[in-house]
Amino acid sequence: MDEHAEVIALLNHTWFGSDLAPETQQRLASLGTLADFAPDEVILEEGEDTREMGILISGRLALRTLVPGRGPVTILSVEPGDIFGWSAVFANASAQSTVVAAEASRALVIDGAKLREALKQDHALAASLYPRVLAAVARRLRATRFQLLDLFAR
Amino acid sequence: MIAHPVPSPTAAARHWFLARSDLDSLIDALQATGRRVIGPTVRDGAIVYDEIQSAAELPAGLRDEQSAGIYRLVARTDGRVFGYTVGPTPWKRFTFPPELAITTAHRTGVVDFEQPPIEVPQLAFLGVRACEIAALGMQDRVFLGGQFTDEDFRARRKAALIVAVQCTTSSSTCFCSSMGTGPEVRAGFDVLMTEIDEGFVIEAGSPAGAAIVAQLPTRRPTHAETGAAADSVEAVRTEIGELLPIAGIDERLKHQLDNPRWGVVAERCVECGSCTMSCPTCFCTSVTEHSDMEGRVSTTERLWDSCFDVAFAKVAGGDFRARPRDRYRQWLTHKFSSWMDQFGTFGCVGCGRCITWCPVHIDVREELLAIAPVIKPVERPVAVEPVAASPGDYSIARLASVREETEDTTTLSLADLDPAFLMGRPGQFVMVALPAFPAVPISISRFRSNGIDLTIRAVGPTSIALVNLHPGAKVGIRGPLGTFWPIEDAYGRHAVVVAGGVGLSPLRGLVEALVANRDRFESVSLYYGARTPDDRLFRSDLAAWAASGLIDVAVTVDRAGPEWKGRVGVVTNLFDMLSCDCSKIAAFVVGPERMMQASVQSLISKGVTPDRICVSMERHMECGIGLCGHCQTGPFFVCKDGPVFHLSELGDMYVREGI
Repeated sequence: MDEHAEVIALLNHTWFGSDLAPETQQRLASLGTLADFAPDEVILEEGEDTREMGILISGRLALRTLVPGRGPVTILSVEPGDIFGWSAVFANASAQSTVVAAEASRALVIDGAKLREALKQDHALAASLYPRVLAAVARRLRATRFQLLDLFAR
Repeated sequence: MIAHPVPSPTAAARHWFLARSDLDSLIDALQATGRRVIGPTVRDGAIVYDEIQSAAELPAGLRDEQSAGIYRLVARTDGRVFGYTVGPTPWKRFTFPPELAITTAHRTGVVDFEQPPIEVPQLAFLGVRACEIAALGMQDRVFLGGQFTDEDFRARRKAALIVAVQCTTSSSTCFCSSMGTGPEVRAGFDVLMTEIDEGFVIEAGSPAGAAIVAQLPTRRPTHAETGAAADSVEAVRTEIGELLPIAGIDERLKHQLDNPRWGVVAERCVECGSCTMSCPTCFCTSVTEHSDMEGRVSTTERLWDSCFDVAFAKVAGGDFRARPRDRYRQWLTHKFSSWMDQFGTFGCVGCGRCITWCPVHIDVREELLAIAPVIKPVERPVAVEPVAASPGDYSIARLASVREETEDTTTLSLADLDPAFLMGRPGQFVMVALPAFPAVPISISRFRSNGIDLTIRAVGPTSIALVNLHPGAKVGIRGPLGTFWPIEDAYGRHAVVVAGGVGLSPLRGLVEALVANRDRFESVSLYYGARTPDDRLFRSDLAAWAASGLIDVAVTVDRAGPEWKGRVGVVTNLFDMLSCDCSKIAAFVVGPERMMQASVQSLISKGVTPDRICVSMERHMECGIGLCGHCQTGPFFVCKDGPVFHLSELGDMYVREGI
């Protein structure tokens, strides 16, 4: 319970987790565990099965993809409050990019299988979580489109 | 246009006086021409135009009280017969009937279509107001002014004898003076009457009118009587006042087709069509067929219709104006914008009927002011008179130093300038010229005590030539030009600066000023996006600002290698999750236009109002002083009305394609 109270307090400081109903926050806290990542630690490899979804509490993560001839390119950073490994809400999903801790980071990491089961059973949880995941992905998609335009190019 | 010539030269005097007790003589004279007299009379609690036989049927001692959705008759303290404004029935019902048979068709072995003969009633219109005369003139343009004409209208119009009445009172719904159609009758009449306490000062406006007046028991009016008549008309003009800034509204409406207010007013509108039916200029019609059971003889009847009708724009494949907001927009933009293109005049005379007779109290004046307000330019003091302010003139400056900011962007520090350049303010720019190269506009990225910095991205021949100069070289400059950042907008507020790429250049001076006066602002934040880490400008300044603790600095890049530990993503991600009271933000935004648009949209969605968002616009400039015409954006010259604008000034023009 003490750990859940700490997690709930941390969730309240994230845009993903704040404004969730207390029981939803409690449920998320019970499904996840706090994890710390060292700088440059690889959290998820591109193409790997996405087994966990995470809500970044502090620090920064870099989403990278390997471009032959150019090496790894960071295409997005995940800031506190945002999520990573969102595809864990689907079974048999694989990571779209490699997730690396750009600096010392802490996240609430939620087991994907348990999350999917909980979403199936707990409709209130699903009703709270899916829109937030969708909003996070939509935000990322909108940003990606702008990056695609390469507006700063000559 | 039906002509109403000036009074006959045989008239002994321009004005005559008719006693109130002799008013029936006017009606008798009109009837003696074989005409039926249509005049104001009370029916069902309103003053309508209908056939009258004598002056006793006129609304003596009554006046109307009108406001949005409200009409009532109240007693006057005198016996005046024209002491009201306008009722629900426009004169168009007599020149352009609500129902008219226009074709009879036969299918009896052969098919033929026959137009019925024009049967024109001989009418005299008694009590026509200035706005109504203007409306008849507008109908002349619609039905007689083009390639195709309505001969029934022509005949009815020609046959009608107009007895106009000067308005000596007004309603709160009148706005004829704003539309230039009243309150004073000046032309378009056969007889004109101005009612005063003792009777009527009258004048003839045509030979037919002169013939009528000649039959009346008139006398010359006294000086006091003509004076009272003139004063009462002038008093009405004062009473009405100037309500609508009508000039240019046709153009402003063209830029408001996506204004969300259309949806707001459409939610109130019940689409009853009262406005179009009572409007003296609306002319939309439909046709209906009446046939015998065998379809051998049918009559086509033209009926008044309304663009508010749900099926008005329907075709077999769909409906071009399916939504109520579409229909309301059509009506208002037609009346105040498209009419001007079609007929050279507004389609409104300011009679106010559409306001009075709207059951849900929609006031077209309020809607116009909300949808297409006059954009007043923000008055800002000119920082300093620019140096060398004519197209061929330049002041010479010496290049003191050159610093490469990025691979393609270089800062030139200029010295030995006219001191006036040092008096400029952040946001302003200079035109920079080199012999044999066209002058280019460059933002001043820093004002020094002894010079100015220009941060230049090498994208064209002049800029490439400039960044390749060496210290000691001379350049021609003109300025400082344009508008500057209104830092005072941010006093007591959260100052938010959003920069993209080289857009940080015109903002650097602003950031320095914000930091230098930090105690005047609730908070100061800089959100800066660049293409890659290597494309960031002013890195030492960014580090110093961040280290000062006086300003929150957040930097992001579009892409990076693994060595970059900072943010990656678009600049809007940096302030997507603002936690401050966004209604207290004053924002300053520069970057590629699409980036500015996204940033502005994000800020507005959070509650930042357009009058608190400033952008700097980039346009093709060749003179910098509003004389070459290249940089026009709508009514603005970006070089002298900008480049810094409040978003509220730009309105619908901002990032609209093709402007």
